[in-house]
Amino acid sequence: MIEVRNLSKRYGNHLAVDDVSFDAQAGEIVGILGPNGAGKTTIMRILTGFMPPTSGTAKVAGFDVMEDSLEVRKRVGYLPERVPLYPDMTVREYVMYWARLRGVKGAKEQVNAVIERVQLTDRRDSLIRNLSKGMRQRLGLAQALVHNPQVVILDEPTIGIDPQQVIEVRDSVRQLGQGHTVLFSTHILSEAEQVCDRVVIINNGRVIAEGDPARLRAQLQPGEYLFVLIGGASDADARRMLERIPGVENVEAQGKGFNLRARPNTDIRPAIFEHVTRAGHVLLELRPVAMTLEDIFLDIVGKAG
Amino acid sequence: MRGMWIVLQRELSAYLTSPVTYLISAALLFLTGFVFNNNLVLSITVAPASPASVPLFLSFTMVFFAPLLTMRMFAEEKREGTLELLLTAPVSDIEIVLGKFLGAWVFFSLLLLVTLSYQVILSTITQPDYGIALSSYLGIWLYGGATLAVGLLFSAITENQIVAAFLSMTVLLFMYLGDLAGQVVASIDLARIIRTLTLQGHFSTSFVYGLVRAEDVAYFAGIIVIMLYITVRVVESNRWR
Repeated sequence: MIEVRNLSKRYGNHLAVDDVSFDAQAGEIVGILGPNGAGKTTIMRILTGFMPPTSGTAKVAGFDVMEDSLEVRKRVGYLPERVPLYPDMTVREYVMYWARLRGVKGAKEQVNAVIERVQLTDRRDSLIRNLSKGMRQRLGLAQALVHNPQVVILDEPTIGIDPQQVIEVRDSVRQLGQGHTVLFSTHILSEAEQVCDRVVIINNGRVIAEGDPARLRAQLQPGEYLFVLIGGASDADARRMLERIPGVENVEAQGKGFNLRARPNTDIRPAIFEHVTRAGHVLLELRPVAMTLEDIFLDIVGKAG
Repeated sequence: MRGMWIVLQRELSAYLTSPVTYLISAALLFLTGFVFNNNLVLSITVAPASPASVPLFLSFTMVFFAPLLTMRMFAEEKREGTLELLLTAPVSDIEIVLGKFLGAWVFFSLLLLVTLSYQVILSTITQPDYGIALSSYLGIWLYGGATLAVGLLFSAITENQIVAAFLSMTVLLFMYLGDLAGQVVASIDLARIIRTLTLQGHFSTSFVYGLVRAEDVAYFAGIIVIMLYITVRVVESNRWR
């Protein structure tokens, strides 16, 4: 449904997007992850037909964004990072305006249905200037969905709204996966993990990793992490002892205990138990630490940058 | 041209629902009413009342009113971020610019229609020259379109409405007063050229006296076309930044 090949975008001397390629299948929710300024918005703007790429191609529903820009724009719903609103319009007028601009047939029913879908029916005659931030976000979503597009592109839809509303927006994104292809950007990794079928991690304009969140974690996890809590030893003693255990690559203080990183494919738990008891201390806690995408991400970005 | 109609309707309803436009319109009507009254008073002793007095006065005030009417159009869309969405709607840039321009021009035409009431009043008092009334209104209608096109261009250039209004007022004032430069240069040919470039040169000595000349119509139409063309280019340039 979305096909991006060797896409690059240059602003003056600054290469914002550098040779990016990825795909999104119909009905798939793809997250674009990356720190601020990584090039996420630029990629989305190219896919919506807002701006042309410097080189490379991008196709949406089989149409090239350069050659068939208008066809692409008919099939894409777009919610930019800063929700674009006309404060002097009512909710209904606003959604109606975009429906008509995009040539929706039976606009009236479609508008009512989409307002219902984002739960703004009771505010449909309110002026937009009087809506709360979460409502504005939902209204922005309504605008992006009113023409029932094949592809929905959401640029950081959960930024700047309260946690309850974040959950609502995530839920609605997940629901969108039924019937739409969704491309959404975020810099919050746990969010991508919860919502996406697949993530594309971008840093400095380049794709540095791609895959489904679980596999990405397995693939990129450089070793096993363990949390150890020892009783009866000073911190310095405990650290020295842990560092001596063969197979331990790294020891980091974490609260009252330590985070250990073991060499890949080695089970160091028996060794830890043995060393601790032999030194006359007590092993209070020993458990594996699941690495979040956050950690993986920082790891990769750290290496790449 | 479907997109153009939708944008036009949106702009018209934005004018008609905004309190600011009612203030601007009220000020315009108050001032023209004042001019009309003055003209009537003078007609008792000095000169017969002219149906062109209000259009002539409007030709000056449009230097300030046109920017006020158009400053919002693109500057606000840019500031609110709606321009980005508009440029990703399946509508061409030309349709967007034309829709906005026509929205402003139609609104200006509505204001002109209201000032026609002066002509009605005049016709009950005296026997005005309807030819002059017609030509001066046709003239100020075209003249207004040209000034609105200039204002629209400057609204597209910046996202600050005040800057947009200031820049277009400055340019319009030059186009209006350029005639003064023509009066002080020594060379008659140069003075003539300058005068043919100014707004006044195509209005105050032709339309106002009942003359409808092709060159004057072409001048205003030309300004509209050129300004809208540049505006389309400027709007397009948002895609390249």
